Amino acid sequence: MKQVTMTVNGRSVTQLVEPRTSLADFVREQLRFTGTHLGCEHGVCGACTVLIDGEPQRSCITYAVSCDSAQVTTIEGFDDDALMADMRTAFHENHALQCGYCTPGMLVTARDIVRRLPDADEKRVRLELSGNLCRCTGYVGIVRAILSVLAKRKAA
Amino acid sequence: MSDKGIGARILRKEDHRHLHGRANFTADIAMPNMLNLAFVRSGIAHGRLVRVTKPADAADRVFAFDDLVGVKTLRAVSKLPTYKLADYPCLATGKVKFVGEPIAACLADSRAEAEDLAARVAVEIDPLPPVMDMVASRAPGTAIVHEDWSDNIALTIQIPSDIDEVVRTAPVKVSGEYKMSRHAMVPMEGRAVLAYWDDRQDQLVVYSATQVPHLNRAGISDILDIEQRQVRVIAPDVGGGFGLKALVFPEEIVACWLALRTRRPVRWIEDRVEHLIADANCREHHYRISAYADRTGKILALEGEVTVDAGAYSVYPFTNGLEAAMAIGNLPGPYHVPAYRGKAYTVTTNKPPLAPYRGVARPGVAFAIEQTIDAIARAVGRDPFDVRLENLVPAAAMPYTSVAKKTFDSGDYPEALRRVARMLDLPGLRERQKRREPDGRLIGVGFGCYTEQTAHGTSVFASWGIQLVPGFEQATVRLTPDGGLEVRVGVQSHGQGMETTIAQVASTTLGIDPARVNVVHGDTGLTPFSTGTYASRSIVMAGGATSRACKVLATRLVRIGAHLMQCEAKDVQVKDGKVVGPRASVEFSEIGRVWYMRPDELPPDVDMGGLECTVGYRPDPDYGTFAYASHGAVVAVDPDTGVVEVLDYVICEDCGTMVNPMVVEGQAFGGAVQGIGTALYEESPYDDQGQPLHSTFADYTLPGATEAPMIRIDHMISPSPHTEYGIKGTGEGGNIPTSGLLANAVNDALRSLGAEVHETPITPRRVLEAIARARKAAA
Repeated sequence: MKQVTMTVNGRSVTQLVEPRTSLADFVREQLRFTGTHLGCEHGVCGACTVLIDGEPQRSCITYAVSCDSAQVTTIEGFDDDALMADMRTAFHENHALQCGYCTPGMLVTARDIVRRLPDADEKRVRLELSGNLCRCTGYVGIVRAILSVLAKRKAA
Repeated sequence: MSDKGIGARILRKEDHRHLHGRANFTADIAMPNMLNLAFVRSGIAHGRLVRVTKPADAADRVFAFDDLVGVKTLRAVSKLPTYKLADYPCLATGKVKFVGEPIAACLADSRAEAEDLAARVAVEIDPLPPVMDMVASRAPGTAIVHEDWSDNIALTIQIPSDIDEVVRTAPVKVSGEYKMSRHAMVPMEGRAVLAYWDDRQDQLVVYSATQVPHLNRAGISDILDIEQRQVRVIAPDVGGGFGLKALVFPEEIVACWLALRTRRPVRWIEDRVEHLIADANCREHHYRISAYADRTGKILALEGEVTVDAGAYSVYPFTNGLEAAMAIGNLPGPYHVPAYRGKAYTVTTNKPPLAPYRGVARPGVAFAIEQTIDAIARAVGRDPFDVRLENLVPAAAMPYTSVAKKTFDSGDYPEALRRVARMLDLPGLRERQKRREPDGRLIGVGFGCYTEQTAHGTSVFASWGIQLVPGFEQATVRLTPDGGLEVRVGVQSHGQGMETTIAQVASTTLGIDPARVNVVHGDTGLTPFSTGTYASRSIVMAGGATSRACKVLATRLVRIGAHLMQCEAKDVQVKDGKVVGPRASVEFSEIGRVWYMRPDELPPDVDMGGLECTVGYRPDPDYGTFAYASHGAVVAVDPDTGVVEVLDYVICEDCGTMVNPMVVEGQAFGGAVQGIGTALYEESPYDDQGQPLHSTFADYTLPGATEAPMIRIDHMISPSPHTEYGIKGTGEGGNIPTSGLLANAVNDALRSLGAEVHETPITPRRVLEAIARARKAAA
């Protein structure tokens, strides 16, 4: 067991973890932030995407011990984030979720696309989503939701 | 409030919790003192299980077949003639029959430690020759999967008919062989179960990622031989199902048994590798089709042979025979086929069990029949669009009973196809094909049409004679003291949005705002019995039952309301969430207050059932109502790399009365993209020793956002004459035609090269091989 200290959703936590424990298992099982979902545990499906120091990362292939002193934001940590609020509204209005399992990771990636690429077109949005799999929606609503937030920000 | 009822595009009530990470999937539940479960699985496809050696220091935490005292095997029965039982043991015994078959169960505090323990269990297996090719292994003299069988054929179904005269005289004959490859269902959440014993309730409580909680309860009770009152199954949030979660599997039974034995909560969460190699697969069909037509391409007769690779065991309760039975019964598709002869084999192999996946058999059928229509068009030198249009059952023929004895209830199939062709601009595309593309790619157009029998009822399932025969669907409705409504249904919603759409049905019937309706589902302790969510049945059945129950509740509201307004019940009606009389109206909340808190104000002859009732419903006739659609697509094929890109994809669908068009469209889009997966990407291949060649998302490819087109959709509305509000099912249909029409589009693109592909997934390798074959044949 190793001791790690990190900031998760704005609160400092210090815990003992096994070196082999992934960040996803750490936040889900030890901190009980279960909004981070596991869809493949080998870094392809993107359901476990969280922010580490502001950048989207796959928490299933990130060791918790490697996040010592990092700032981690899971889907539960965006309640005061205006861009995420817009994205949630857009997902709701565009039927961008069905079963909801991919949704937390999808939202973290979607928010990052808008943050980094204010001029992204549909093709670019799809390319940027290639690290997040959805089995229900056919991506139609997800892409529309992201494009609608991009358009809204441009118009503002 | 009727503007939020049936037909309204209202937003979903279930979204909020998912968007905030506050949903509750089975893996999100943790309990004090909980044990985690991991399985030792076979690494050999076929062999004699000689010995399982437990680590000496952990023998009490490792369980093999002999330890499972009192646990029956999973036996899926069917009364179809020739059906052979292929019992699925909860842990392997005697022989292992596929790579991934569970052999031993290991318990530890964490999943990681349970996997550590599993790695220390020694398994000795004497390998036997594996049975891997379903067509070859039909022949005598091959290795046999089930030793008490004389061959590997699990079920043979024949539709005999005298078509010899047509065969001899038809001016046009086309024949083809079509293969749909085995793949996985891949809900984003795998299977999951958490079971514990509750002494206070004298119950085994089972949280399960299931589409069919009541069916699960029946299965667990049967196999563990405990009373049904002692089992409660709760499906919390479920992350997609697609058919996979409509079954009962060994892992769930073992977890339940271990919870009974240890008297501690036991959790098993399937990981992705387990899902890809050890879970039930889907789709593996092989077709030999001959079609006979006149010189205009009008079909005179159809002859088909279907072989389904059902894997090693028969899945509980739907059996391994349902795929082939559905395939042979649906082969004529939405077309007017005057004569038909068919034969279907279900073959057992050393692969994971095959199970019904979204669309159940019909995507394979459409893959074969839609390519057959295009082959006829090529043979008679006409556009496949025209030949397809002329062979579709016309609107004037409705209701129409097909040669395979399906009764299509309503609709205009040719009009759906015409609309799709207009959306694609077919004449413009044919011109574009003549001009050729500047980047050297080849453009192709494909169409696919289908019917989907939805909400098949008692008569259909009874004819198959399987464990589960759905009957009257029930809903319980209850007005709360403050005028809200609870609706309890035994189906389960895992993406279909039924917490919203069933509230919309209640809204239409009672005029109540859907925001004031709670839909309770997926819990055997809280809902009336239902066989569950499968076969595109839930909105037809549970929606219909909700409507009927609300109508009964309305009569009681009217009676109390009339008394409070001191007028006659006949002058009173339920409207806009109120009971409205000639001169006054009463809010539901007032009626709730009187019933629950001030019964002294009730009429003396009030119905003592009060503001709660359970009502059953079944459509009449109950053989299922037929939704239908046409889809069309444009693809670009690169003849140098073999890469296929879907440039455009359009849908014109008709599911009768739409409860929520947004939800209907979501089902259609999602289904079509799953169909693109089957058509172009997804495959679970095996080597000749039965080793899976796919175990991660790196070697098993799902369609991502870059592979999915921005699908366009149009709707037609032909209400069912047989169902409440004319609703037809729509959950599964979206992926039925996709593989067939994309094969047609690819082959249309390749036509100038003389190449054709007839096997899914249509990968670059298969396209290049087809081109190479055509070049060799031409040389």
